[in-house]
Amino acid sequence: MTNTRQPRGAPYLFLSPFLLLFMAFTAYPLLRSMTLSLQQTFGPRATQFVGMDNFRFLFADPRFWKALKNTAVFTAGSIFIQLPCSLGLAMLLNKPGIRGRAFFRLIFFSPSLVGLVFVAMIFSIIFEKRTGLLNVALHHAFGFNVDFPWLQEYVMSALILASLWMYVGFNMVYFLAALQNVSKDLLEAAEIDGAGFFSRFINITLPAISPVGSFVVLLSLVGGFQLFELPYILLNGSGPNSQGLTVVMYLFQTGFETGDLGYASAIGWVLALLLILFAICQRVFSSVRES
Amino acid sequence: MRKASTPDQRISTTHCAVRASRPRRGVLHLSAGAWIIVLIAVVSTCAVAIWPIPKRSGLDMWTSARAHVPMYEPVIARWNEDHSPPVNLFLLSSDVLGRRMMSGFLSQTPLADIIEIERSQVGRAFAGPLEDVGFVDLTERIHREGLYEQMNEPSFSPWSSRGHIFGLPHDVHPMMLVYRADIVEAAGIDVSKIQTWDDFARLMRPLMNDLDREGQPKRYPLSLWYTSPDQVEALVLQAGGGYFDDQGHPVIDSDSNARVISTIVSWTAGPTRIAADAPEFTGSGNELRIQGFVVCSLMPDWLGGVWKLDLPQLRGKLKLMPLPAWTRGGRRTSVWGGTMLGIPKTPDLEKVWPFARQLYFNESVARKLYETNDIISPVKSMWKSEFYGLPDPYFSGQSPGSMYIALAPMVPRRTSSPYNMMAKERVQDALIFLREYAIAHNQYDPYQLIPEAKRQLREAQESVARQLSHNVFLRQERSG
Repeated sequence: MTNTRQPRGAPYLFLSPFLLLFMAFTAYPLLRSMTLSLQQTFGPRATQFVGMDNFRFLFADPRFWKALKNTAVFTAGSIFIQLPCSLGLAMLLNKPGIRGRAFFRLIFFSPSLVGLVFVAMIFSIIFEKRTGLLNVALHHAFGFNVDFPWLQEYVMSALILASLWMYVGFNMVYFLAALQNVSKDLLEAAEIDGAGFFSRFINITLPAISPVGSFVVLLSLVGGFQLFELPYILLNGSGPNSQGLTVVMYLFQTGFETGDLGYASAIGWVLALLLILFAICQRVFSSVRES
Repeated sequence: MRKASTPDQRISTTHCAVRASRPRRGVLHLSAGAWIIVLIAVVSTCAVAIWPIPKRSGLDMWTSARAHVPMYEPVIARWNEDHSPPVNLFLLSSDVLGRRMMSGFLSQTPLADIIEIERSQVGRAFAGPLEDVGFVDLTERIHREGLYEQMNEPSFSPWSSRGHIFGLPHDVHPMMLVYRADIVEAAGIDVSKIQTWDDFARLMRPLMNDLDREGQPKRYPLSLWYTSPDQVEALVLQAGGGYFDDQGHPVIDSDSNARVISTIVSWTAGPTRIAADAPEFTGSGNELRIQGFVVCSLMPDWLGGVWKLDLPQLRGKLKLMPLPAWTRGGRRTSVWGGTMLGIPKTPDLEKVWPFARQLYFNESVARKLYETNDIISPVKSMWKSEFYGLPDPYFSGQSPGSMYIALAPMVPRRTSSPYNMMAKERVQDALIFLREYAIAHNQYDPYQLIPEAKRQLREAQESVARQLSHNVFLRQERSG
């Protein structure tokens, strides 16, 4: 039986709560931040229109470039170190003969269930000089310098290591799912034809998992560019010589520590445009490859 | 035989039937259930919009210092017995308090009537035009009531902006040097001979002769590292330097600052090294202190209270001495940390002010503050109180209160600039580059490092000045 009383406007009515919330908490703040990026403010009374001054200042600001460089290095580290590790783990755990596969999957995935703040606090203890777990263990094993200054001079390495521990298992799950969909017939046929492991990997596995791979790359890219909590807690700020300063942290410091909301909005918009650009590049790259 | 339709085809056919048979009706033609949902939405929206936000009766006070709560509660209880409106005390974390304060100042969200806030959080309240600072300007009132003379004068400086005072100082926080008396005395070192930092380095260096199995010193005389901006700032202030002048202009590249950072580099690298990294408030740092890996530390009064809680093992093993001076006869103290009581702009100022005065000029609060936290009051008339002179077994029977009070009038003045955090970071960067330079050139003589230190500090100053120049409000105030 059909409902003959359903009015045409009902969908809009039921969509309206979402739309209202979207307008209030997403669209309006977006527009407001756009106008803020053209102003300098100190509360509702002290507001001054400065045009593109915030953007001009931003592009000449060495700290912004430093933050952008740090963020790019971290993101590159995430992509070029973390993702191969994730793929390697996924391939290991995808082998049929391995005992306790489910257990190992859970073990490798479990760090991503821990909160980022908690991870940062754990690693701030692990990376301590002289008493930290890492230095002490390496010292006993290899005579490593127990005073090695991870959080003073090797900040980016420490950040990449911490994020590797946290996310390698998370990305492994994506790759594992993709690997399970690689055609076994093709792999067997290639093996019968005499193709070796690397040949099969390059010519069959990699093309088959590349859609998932590019999705994971995009996720890592976006996640890397939004990095904030990990360095903020691990280093209690941006760290010595601002080695842990990221774009989002600079936005936070500018907006909420110095109180320059206009400049912070400008930073936010540049970051948003960068991420949009990455997403477009990824789409173009994917469609070119598919065609 | 009739061919069976697929599920997709069936759904599609049904959907077309619905579309074909649907009568064209108005938007407002809804089922009873939908009307009930709409009604609930409208009523709840109106209720939320119209319902008045319940205002707690009385005056609200926010503090971020957990230790202050048990001290203030009895005073507030007594106040509430005799006065109206009553005062309600709330404990917020420091960051939350800072954010809610700024939110209240910038967008008029509800604020407490009295706010007790730390120095690290208060600077941004002074970033805008003077008339838009959210706290009541207490300058005239403080002078009229003689409070400026009654309290330790330098302690007003972190709460003053552009010549106006916006808060009552809660503390002085003078700094001394704490040392492991058991180790120093066993080594036969006479600390009374230490007058300057040069004396300190010379007399304490023999402590480093005790080596471990790997040939590294078992002990370092000083707990200090080039990545500790608070301690670096304290030493800079002690030497008579600082990062901003009274008008808020950056003065980072001064000779005094260059000398201090050159000396810190010489203490943390090369053959002249006497310092090691044992960060405060961390388990690892505390472990190193217990082991005696670091022998002396910079200690403002409040840190004594923290150590008593975190390091009870050191009871009876520590002694205090004034900081070594940078020049013979120079200042033997510095300052680190601080809290103020501010009053957000309110029509009820006359109701709030008597309570604020009562709280900060209360002898029982001052006594408890000292007994539980080792913090001395900025109210000079209380400095004669007998409890400050009592021996403290934690510090081997010394009287830290009297010792800190003797140094209190000499604490350096400090800036309240919202850009001070940034300046501290830039000076830290300068220190890092200077240390790299010293290592690369195998140059650890502080006097030889001064030209490079000045160059690095000049870059730090230009970076801060650049950010300052971007603040259109400060720029306008300065230009006229």
